[in-house]
Amino acid sequence: MRRNVSPASNSIQLGEVLKKLPVFEEQLRAIKETIISNILLIGQVPAPTFEESNRAEVFLERLSDSQIDICATDDYSNPIGIIKGRTGGNKPPIFLVAHLDTFIAGDVDHNYTIRKNSITGPGVLDNSVSVGVLASIPFICQSLDLSFESDIVLAGVTQSIGKGNLQGIRHLLKTWEGPIRGAVIMEGEKLGRLNYYSEGIIRGEIECKIPAPGNWEERYKPNAILILNEVINEILAMSLPQRPRSRVIIGKIDGGFKHGVIAYDARLGFEIQSDSDPMVKQMYNEIKDIVDGISHEHNVALKLNPISTLNACTLKYRHPLVKSTVAIMKRLGITPVSESSESELSIFLANKIPAVTLGLTDGKNIHLDHASMKIDPVFTGIAQVLGVIMAMDQGVCDEQ
Amino acid sequence: MNNDWLLKNTFHHTAFRDLSRLAAAKNEKNLTISLCLPTLNEEKTIAKEIIIMKSELMIRFPIIDEIIVVDSGSTDNTREIAESYGAAVYDSSSILPHLENFTGKGENLWKALYITHGDIIVYLDADIKNIHHRFVYALLGPLLTTDTIKYSKAFYDRPLTLDQQKTRPTGGGRVTELIVRPLFSLFFPELTQILQPLSGEYAGYRDLFEKIPFPIGYGVETSMILDIYEKWGLDVIAQVDLDQRVHRNQDNKALGQMSFVILKTFLNRIEKLGHIELPKPVYKEMIQYNRIPGEYQAEVFRIEGHERPPMTTIAEYCEKFKKPLTPAD
Repeated sequence: MRRNVSPASNSIQLGEVLKKLPVFEEQLRAIKETIISNILLIGQVPAPTFEESNRAEVFLERLSDSQIDICATDDYSNPIGIIKGRTGGNKPPIFLVAHLDTFIAGDVDHNYTIRKNSITGPGVLDNSVSVGVLASIPFICQSLDLSFESDIVLAGVTQSIGKGNLQGIRHLLKTWEGPIRGAVIMEGEKLGRLNYYSEGIIRGEIECKIPAPGNWEERYKPNAILILNEVINEILAMSLPQRPRSRVIIGKIDGGFKHGVIAYDARLGFEIQSDSDPMVKQMYNEIKDIVDGISHEHNVALKLNPISTLNACTLKYRHPLVKSTVAIMKRLGITPVSESSESELSIFLANKIPAVTLGLTDGKNIHLDHASMKIDPVFTGIAQVLGVIMAMDQGVCDEQ
Repeated sequence: MNNDWLLKNTFHHTAFRDLSRLAAAKNEKNLTISLCLPTLNEEKTIAKEIIIMKSELMIRFPIIDEIIVVDSGSTDNTREIAESYGAAVYDSSSILPHLENFTGKGENLWKALYITHGDIIVYLDADIKNIHHRFVYALLGPLLTTDTIKYSKAFYDRPLTLDQQKTRPTGGGRVTELIVRPLFSLFFPELTQILQPLSGEYAGYRDLFEKIPFPIGYGVETSMILDIYEKWGLDVIAQVDLDQRVHRNQDNKALGQMSFVILKTFLNRIEKLGHIELPKPVYKEMIQYNRIPGEYQAEVFRIEGHERPPMTTIAEYCEKFKKPLTPAD
């Protein structure tokens, strides 16, 4: 979307936003109990991908308790809250997004422990802290006396990670009627994270299945794990260009039955990443050739299954949204660190909606059951999010 | 078996979900409410309880007026953490210091009567892992929305499904089902309608609590029910289903000691009430055996069975709350 906003007017408005930020931090600390309560009450509800409904219900309940103007789920079970803007819908809405799902299985004990400056528990950094903050936004706006011209859409999106393949946000944007002014995506880790571009990716799984032996003489069949080892060796031998920057990540492997028995099945999870979509496609085809070749040579069932794809997309560093976000972060003493992000950001950018992903706090053991987040930095993290939303709302982020 | 009380005085927490209604009822009755958390080494859970109650029932809805922690001498960071989140923290031994000092949950609850200000006091165990503000507002619900109920007690999981054919367990713990329920059945069948008499979460009017004695240890829940029942009848009591509670599990040895204390308290009460006559005092030691290489080793757990008198017999209390001093037994 394009609007005519003069650069001089932009800098005055951004200046006003920057002035308020340190005060926000202190005001947010004063309502820490409510923010932490939301992180707890939502984070303690398990939400593995595809099983987010209980967490979505609590999220909506918290929004409803905050007397938010509208809250409901869309037809893809994404829970959504809307803080109505002052202009009655004349300005396009601004989206604030956090994914609901976590990597943690539903049967893991999700009860959190709070100490003086930390919250510990599974999934807290990825991404329960962000969902808790998202649910706190109506109360934060009331407490800090903030209102906006645009509607603020608070979207807790489902089916984001792994095989979820960002289906929640894809669906939400596909079915949303009308333009969207911009978006901020919140991730728990790490304060200073600023993502505004994403690489092209194909995420896939290679599955090797060998029929279990029926007769005694068939007991020495090929080993599925060793077959995948062959595949890995050939992937590692692929020639990858320096430009466009490209790589294959071998991220997951599992298979086998027990120590003394040949593995009859095994799976390998990988991701191809590149600045260039054609290069991603080319590398995928190369891996497909490897898989077909090994399948033929060893006479085994070896299957390549694509799980998800994303196209490369980017905002330029000089885009007003990126420039304003950097200024806001620096005003709060945060050093921005940018790298590619394959998340909800990709979907917004692919839909030509300016968006950034921001980290909220610091912590450790992000994907372990004893993940731990620091409490104090989160107030700075929230202040930066509010700053970016205010800047967007005042038009400073709209492209010239 | 008459279960009228169970039908009439059993509630589900969802009945009190409308917090603005509870806040209005509290306001209309011109009441103040104190939340008391007795602690002993609860650093893993204490912060959660304080934060959620403060956020939801003080900041968002003005239902609770104060949160106090009465600590029995924790050696971990319980007190420091509780203070950092704004609770008023008291060392149990520093309250009414001229009295002989005892250690135990009942002692903390009793002393909380002296330091809290509320007309209603909510007692909540500090080891609840899945804490939610329903643990407090649901206990307050019957007290604030009726004129007859003066004491409400939590239970967990669902009770007998009254309007359906099939039944489910009531969710009572081992000590409840093996000790307390058989005793109630023998002596006070009406009280068996209280599904989880040992639950550590309850709320009541100060006017009740100040008139009953408090055993200093585990027996406090049992004696409280017996005393309230004897003095005011079952109709002033309500029970509220709080769904699920996740807390630390205790091993059989600890449960054995708990059972010993509860039995002792119970025998003491029913003797006072004239239900039985013991020819000689019961012993004060619970003996358990450990198997170690080559021998069986006795382990003795001694319980004196101290009991604090009703607060209205304590001069400082009566002076502070402008109540008439009643003579001690």
